[in-house]
Amino acid sequence: MKITKILFVTDFEELLFNALQSLMGLRKAGLNHVVLLHVIPREKVAMRRGIGYLKQEERKLREIANIRFIDWAETLFEQGMEVGAHIAVGNTVPKVLSVAEDEGVDLIVIARRKRGKLEELYAGSETSDLLRKTVRPVLIYNYISQSGRVGENPFERLLLALDWSLSSERALDLVLALKGTVKRVDIIHVVSEKDIGKLSKTEIQKLERENKKRLNDVCDVLVKQRSDVRSHLYIGKIEEQIRKGAWEYRATMIVLGTGSKSIWKERWSGSVSHTLAERSELPLLVIPAEIK
Amino acid sequence: MAKKVLNVEDDVHTRIFVSTVLERNGYTPILAKDGEEGMRKIGEERPDLIILDILMPKECGIKMYRELKTDPSFKDIPVIILSAVSKRTFLRSQEALTEFGDETVPEPQAYLEKPVEPEDLAEILKKILG
Repeated sequence: MKITKILFVTDFEELLFNALQSLMGLRKAGLNHVVLLHVIPREKVAMRRGIGYLKQEERKLREIANIRFIDWAETLFEQGMEVGAHIAVGNTVPKVLSVAEDEGVDLIVIARRKRGKLEELYAGSETSDLLRKTVRPVLIYNYISQSGRVGENPFERLLLALDWSLSSERALDLVLALKGTVKRVDIIHVVSEKDIGKLSKTEIQKLERENKKRLNDVCDVLVKQRSDVRSHLYIGKIEEQIRKGAWEYRATMIVLGTGSKSIWKERWSGSVSHTLAERSELPLLVIPAEIK
Repeated sequence: MAKKVLNVEDDVHTRIFVSTVLERNGYTPILAKDGEEGMRKIGEERPDLIILDILMPKECGIKMYRELKTDPSFKDIPVIILSAVSKRTFLRSQEALTEFGDETVPEPQAYLEKPVEPEDLAEILKKILG
């Protein structure tokens, strides 16, 4: 799994050129092509009574986006990067999915996006919707975090959260492919409070030993590539502990796999990746179990 | 027989504009909307000249230009770049790619920054193709 081509989705508000530029460290891991996408929300140009479809407005918004993209592309071209651009009208998630498919990107970069309250109640946030539907890794990127910890290279210090699932394996593969970009990896596994509630002391110790062994095995794989790798075993509420671990080890990004829960299943049982996508102040790299 | 000119351009309005200029000046236009389609049409149609945009989906003009100029069967086809991306940027990008280990490629026959006047495009076409 390599990241050679990324799709950078921008609304020119949350993710700007400095955010894109901060990802150029990925060049060391093989990045050579950036695809830019701006989606003009349909409601901005939709039919109005007495006026009709706002064609002139659409043209204006497309032109504004085009001028911004040419400016961004010029800087990237001068760095030897390939650049493509798409400007579309419609709903963000379907457009992101179709451009990602057409272009065959390896990573989608998007800001955390919310919908209106009612729409969110039924469909969840746009970010969750995208995570549910995509088969490509997604970087939910808030370039400047509240803690101010994300610097010029968000891939510098990774917190890799593993739950021993297939998507976790994929997440590990991706971290291995980031060779040269990452300086430190803290691997974390969280044993859920629920899982140990009914266990005896011996059983808990056994569980601890098993998980530590698995963590050490992963460490060994990563150590072959870089020197600074540590593993940590946490117990508690998974999403909360991952955020704690990221804070304790000064991570610049959280990396984890995600399962493919339906929206209703997710509503009832919750999903760590989706909850983190909504709440984490750090950039979050989410890897689906099935990767295209 | 009219000479064939391939226009590789993602913007439909520019494709129509270039196509009209070509037809009015006695050339046969062939159109492609991105680099991938452009490379396929070059193989199929063997155009006498290529008018190439830079910022396009799928395969951008920078890469397509390098592919053309490093392919022995296509490297002699003259290329006019017609783009909103400046010539300075184009040349710097080629320098950067050469620094990363790619082959050095020659400059295009002409570089036109958008928007271009129809007479200017026609004059350059005439100069290159006769």
